[in-house]
Amino acid sequence: MRRIISILLQNEAGALARIAGMFSARGYNIDSLSVAATHDAAVSRLTLVTFGDDAVIDQIIKQSRKLIEVLEIADLTSRDHIETELVIVKIEVGNESLNNFVAALRRHPRAQVIDISAGVRTIEFTGNGAEVGEFLDDLGRVGEVIELARSGTAAVERGAAILAQA
Amino acid sequence: MNAQLKPTPLATNDPNKHALAGRPMSGADIVVQVLADEGVEVVFGYSGGAILPVYDAVFRFNHAHKVGEREPLPLIVPANEQGAGFMAQGYARASGKVGVAIVTSGPGATNTVTPVRDAMADSIPLVVICGQVPTAAIGSDGFQEAPISNIMAACTKHVFLVTDASKLEATLRSAFEIARTGRPGPVVVDIPKDVQNTQLVFDGASRLPLPGYRARLRAIEDARLDDAACKTFFDALAQARRPLIYAGGGVIAGEAAVALRAFADGFGIPVVTTLMGIGAADTTQVLSLHMLGMHGTAFANYATEDCDFLIATGSRFDDRVAGVPAKFAAGARFLAHLDVDPAEIDKVKRVDWHHLGNLSRALERLRAYGQTAGFDPLGKGSYRDWHAHIVDLKKTYAMNYARDAAQIQPYAVIEEINKHTQGRAVIATGVGQHQMWAAQYFDFREPRLWLTSGSMGTMGFGLPAAIGAAFARRDLVVIDIDGDASIRMNLGELETVTTYNLPVKIVVLNNYGDGMVRQWQKLFFKGRFSASDKSLHKKDFVTTILSMCRA
Ligand SMILES: Cc1ncc(C[n+]2csc(CCOP(=O)(O)OP(=O)(O)O)c2C)c(N)n1
Ligand SMILES: [Mg+2]
Repeated sequence: MRRIISILLQNEAGALARIAGMFSARGYNIDSLSVAATHDAAVSRLTLVTFGDDAVIDQIIKQSRKLIEVLEIADLTSRDHIETELVIVKIEVGNESLNNFVAALRRHPRAQVIDISAGVRTIEFTGNGAEVGEFLDDLGRVGEVIELARSGTAAVERGAAILAQA
Repeated sequence: MNAQLKPTPLATNDPNKHALAGRPMSGADIVVQVLADEGVEVVFGYSGGAILPVYDAVFRFNHAHKVGEREPLPLIVPANEQGAGFMAQGYARASGKVGVAIVTSGPGATNTVTPVRDAMADSIPLVVICGQVPTAAIGSDGFQEAPISNIMAACTKHVFLVTDASKLEATLRSAFEIARTGRPGPVVVDIPKDVQNTQLVFDGASRLPLPGYRARLRAIEDARLDDAACKTFFDALAQARRPLIYAGGGVIAGEAAVALRAFADGFGIPVVTTLMGIGAADTTQVLSLHMLGMHGTAFANYATEDCDFLIATGSRFDDRVAGVPAKFAAGARFLAHLDVDPAEIDKVKRVDWHHLGNLSRALERLRAYGQTAGFDPLGKGSYRDWHAHIVDLKKTYAMNYARDAAQIQPYAVIEEINKHTQGRAVIATGVGQHQMWAAQYFDFREPRLWLTSGSMGTMGFGLPAAIGAAFARRDLVVIDIDGDASIRMNLGELETVTTYNLPVKIVVLNNYGDGMVRQWQKLFFKGRFSASDKSLHKKDFVTTILSMCRA
């Protein structure tokens, strides 16, 4: 099943590769991964989404917790959590499709045009997986998507609960 | 690595300050000083361009601190860096201290991958220091460059690539800490040549912060069995009539054999050990059942089948022991598991009760609790039938072989040696049938006498491991029981034995081939001995060793 895992990591060379290696060594693919420093520059936060056998992923989590640079690791899958992802999409919009494009944007108030060039619009959108999917489907009916960049899902637990370093 | 987290230097007015604190030193000198401070007595390694500054520092250190003929940090040179890695392992396994190997970049470092992975698989504390091309050349396919931090990341407890010279000292000290604490393992420190040559100031105490690792370690070290946990354990044990301890390598690594024996003897609970746990119990004792598993004794395996309460201690239900987990110890109504590694709990088999913490302390605590609570199965005779059954199993299924065979039987050779060593010699092995015969037919009265590549099963382990052990236990006889094929893998190390005049005894059980492989081919491939028959080999082992003994 789909699993979403949060990891606090010392912000160091090699640390990310070790985490990724835990999955690749078992032939497991990482579906999405977002990483960046937190409010503490020495600490990175990773959000990792993967699909696979629950027992195997449980074992990966346990073994990842042993990595020296790992500060904390938590499986958010069964916890009440919030997920969000940023997507930047480029589509071809000719004069004939401009009205449809504007209408589509109106249906998605969280979408923002961040670049306008001749015949091409670049739009930014944030939302959870389902929302991003719907948005992209809708946009795809207006014009041809020529490029797409997704940040990968980031997630936190809902409410006051935080992933704190031990 | 460690780009952000700054090492913590010791305050200058600290009374415990290192005598050399504040002294200017090169990176290479700092490497050697930290080795000395960590209590390293011997290092194993082969030199080369990228590690020359450290080799020079070792030379100068030994020259400056020589006591008579004795060097404080003898540097033992193998035939191949794989040998250095296994020598460091043999030293570590026999002594319980961290083994150290120092090698050059590229091929020197890659030659240690096998012993490093082997150390990881058997939880052996090692620090391997590798030279690396200068920082500016990393990633340029420089001469003798290999991506050691990438390669080793997958087979170590941790790897450091020191690109910031100011963190070299803290990194080295932390490498030893990581290698020896918690579940031990190998740590590789990759040091570019320019970092070895950088002029630095010695601190004497700096360490890396390692906040996550240390917090988890502390949690395990501080863990105590509370009364409720002890009560649950003994309530269940009181129901049992056939309890059994299944002891693994964790008992050896955790120096918990004394506590284990006191617990087992105090309540009359028989013990089986894994291949890695050999020596946890004294194999000459009545309630000691020797090794279980695929290559174990029949009586140990029957006892495991027959037990109704299993106490796994520093063992991990490995596939050579619990091939089919559901069928392993299927009669046990209660499984208890004591370990230091959270990742081992419920990994293979779900247990009814577990404790994560220092093994020795936990076993002491359980024994004291049981005694205070009046748990006295010996006094009450609760296990009388079970003990009789154990004695019976050991008699009925005693290890045996064709004693009247015309040819010398390998088992007879081991039995004969055992009469002399009486469970008090260090025994190293290769991998194969001879390894299992040694495990089965030798006695072991203490931990750290049995040196074998358990989890990786690396042929070529025996000879270099015996060499390393000779430096750890100068007081004991050290014997390498090897196979004709295994010994060939590191045959060059014969010369290391003679070069350093080491009192290592070598016994090759020559069955002209890969016996263990043939055993499987006989069982599963209708006796087609593909590539495992070495009867055409022309080597004469005796002349081989004599050729290494030029007067
Ligand atoms: C480095 C390595 N390569 C291959 C193997 C596979 N293997 C396991 S036992 C064995 C045969 C060992 O022969 P020998 O050392 O003569 O021992 P014997 O079984 O004959 O006693 C082989 C090839 C291994 N364990 N290690
Ligand atoms: Mg053989």
